[in-house]
Amino acid sequence: MRALVFLCIGVWGCSLYSQNKETLYDFTDLPQSLMLNPGAEVNFEYHAGVPFLSQIHVNAGLRGASLYDVFADDGRNINDKIEITLNELTSNDYLTFTQQLELFNFGWESKKNKSIYFSGGIYQELDVIGYFPKDFAVLAYQGNQDFLNQPFRFSNINGSGELLTVYHFGYNKKVNKKLTFGARAKLYSSMFHIRSAKNKGTFTTIETSQGSNIYQHVVSNADVTLRTSGYASLRDIEGETSSAEVKEVVNKLIGRALLGGNLGVGVDIGFTYKIEDQLAVTGSINDLGAVLYAKDVETYSARGNYVFEGFETPIQFSGQNPQNFLDELEEAIPLDTLSTAYVTMRPLKVNGSVKYSFNRYDDGTCNCYLEGEQPPYMDAVGVQLFTQFRPKRPQYAASLFYYKRLFSFLRTKVTYTIDDYSYYNIGFLLSTHIDKINFYISANNLLEYTNLAKARGVSLQLGFNLIM
Amino acid sequence: MKTKKAVALLCILCMVVQLISCVKDVDFDQASDIVLTPVYEVDFIYSRFDTSQFIDPDEDPSVVIPEIVVNDTLNYDLLGTDFVVDNLEQVALTFEFSNTIERDFEFSFGFLDDANQRIGPSFTITANAGLGAGTDPVVTTEEIILDNATINILGAATKLISSIRIQNVNSSLQGILELKSKGTYFINYEL
Repeated sequence: MRALVFLCIGVWGCSLYSQNKETLYDFTDLPQSLMLNPGAEVNFEYHAGVPFLSQIHVNAGLRGASLYDVFADDGRNINDKIEITLNELTSNDYLTFTQQLELFNFGWESKKNKSIYFSGGIYQELDVIGYFPKDFAVLAYQGNQDFLNQPFRFSNINGSGELLTVYHFGYNKKVNKKLTFGARAKLYSSMFHIRSAKNKGTFTTIETSQGSNIYQHVVSNADVTLRTSGYASLRDIEGETSSAEVKEVVNKLIGRALLGGNLGVGVDIGFTYKIEDQLAVTGSINDLGAVLYAKDVETYSARGNYVFEGFETPIQFSGQNPQNFLDELEEAIPLDTLSTAYVTMRPLKVNGSVKYSFNRYDDGTCNCYLEGEQPPYMDAVGVQLFTQFRPKRPQYAASLFYYKRLFSFLRTKVTYTIDDYSYYNIGFLLSTHIDKINFYISANNLLEYTNLAKARGVSLQLGFNLIM
Repeated sequence: MKTKKAVALLCILCMVVQLISCVKDVDFDQASDIVLTPVYEVDFIYSRFDTSQFIDPDEDPSVVIPEIVVNDTLNYDLLGTDFVVDNLEQVALTFEFSNTIERDFEFSFGFLDDANQRIGPSFTITANAGLGAGTDPVVTTEEIILDNATINILGAATKLISSIRIQNVNSSLQGILELKSKGTYFINYEL
């Protein structure tokens, strides 16, 4: 039951920063920090993630509402609650779901030059965002009777979903004592992609005293496009649910995951700059790249104008040809199915932070000085910013954080994040380092775990690494 | 020692998360009570009947045509999907006649299925006589309610037949009869 509820929250949950990993960012005790900033200042000799277990990441959320708003057990009629929620939501509210699974992750210090650290791996990512199609939800839930003369806007239809694998290789170099720079090349293999954005036009029921009839139903300047890739061939298999068909779908998807899908390239770039010993700024750009969708593409597009005033009868009076509503509509707003290739940018993410470290570990037992290294700081505080570019508008988040190295084997980070809707998002990361074995777990929106139904967003990451 | 401590801490953390994370005060069974009840206003049929279109004005006014009937058949399958038929609770058809012709008109309509057979009831409305060309039109409004049982019968309708009937017509008769109409569709869709 709990798993089901988690899944529900996953699909209908909430959170703004769909891929914001505020606790992991610049947490340089973990190799996963290199995935968020290839220029993070890490000090590993090598690392290897436990295959399939080095990072499990789930993030889900709904901006604008929670499960509790609709399903609260408070004696009120659910239809009233839906109507209230519907009226509160806007077309800028959305639901997101992101899931990542690292298949492999490894890295090593260059033997020739100890200031260089290489890392690479493969991960799979599912990323879905759907904006709330307010106008059409209203049209479906309440009809047009109360909304005469008001346009229903096709621009409300906005969303995208993608399943892909990413092959990456990164380079991290300590340029000097102050600056660490890094870059990561990425090769995307998209298994499935669907996107509808930048739609235009309106549907309006106009009360008219001048027209032929009581109303005019007007579709004006409609321009609606839905792009898909990887869908057409799966649809052909769909319908049958025998094990052979399921196997065929799975085989197709695996083939696409192994570079058989639509391919794209991108880079991550990042740096760490120490203004002074205890004060550092970092910045990174992730997924600056694009995927070319050329295989198995189907784009559906409808454009045109149409006015419906009812049926004229008897038609003899006007001498016009008899109408056929559906034929006329199809002629005025033809639905085209195209298979032309298209390019879509990956959702670009930008991170930045300022960190002040203090409380140097110095009880005289450290061998650091002998090894030519500085002993670590036990505490750090700072500020982080995050932006992700989305079909409609960027999402933002700002965090305060406190890093604490409780023991050598136990390191933690607490974050406090604000964004468009939540002012009390607390995140926590706990990382254990026992010999070479590392385990970490992190979650945000901790205050909302007391009642997940009221939560608008939940994010969870955990994984195992071998770090030296 | 360190290992034990860490494992213990992790266990405590997991337990705490388990204990504090729960879903309270919600009842998902309410989903079965969700009912969508949108109301749609859609134009139905319209007509504009000008006497000059069917009476030759040069005709001797003393010649009286006892009756003119204009019949029409048009494609109409707005009720034609199972979804609409299954979830349409009621349709209110509103008719509005504006007449300046000094005669009553009888307007009737009904439905045909694919085999051109009459199905369901047919309806007749009388539009009151007007006061002559150039006067304010006489308005007749009428509402016809199609209940759920009728809608189920009309689910097979693919054509609409209509007729307009006017009696005792001569060439001195002038004016316009306008018909405007709409359907108000009350959907009741249980999720």
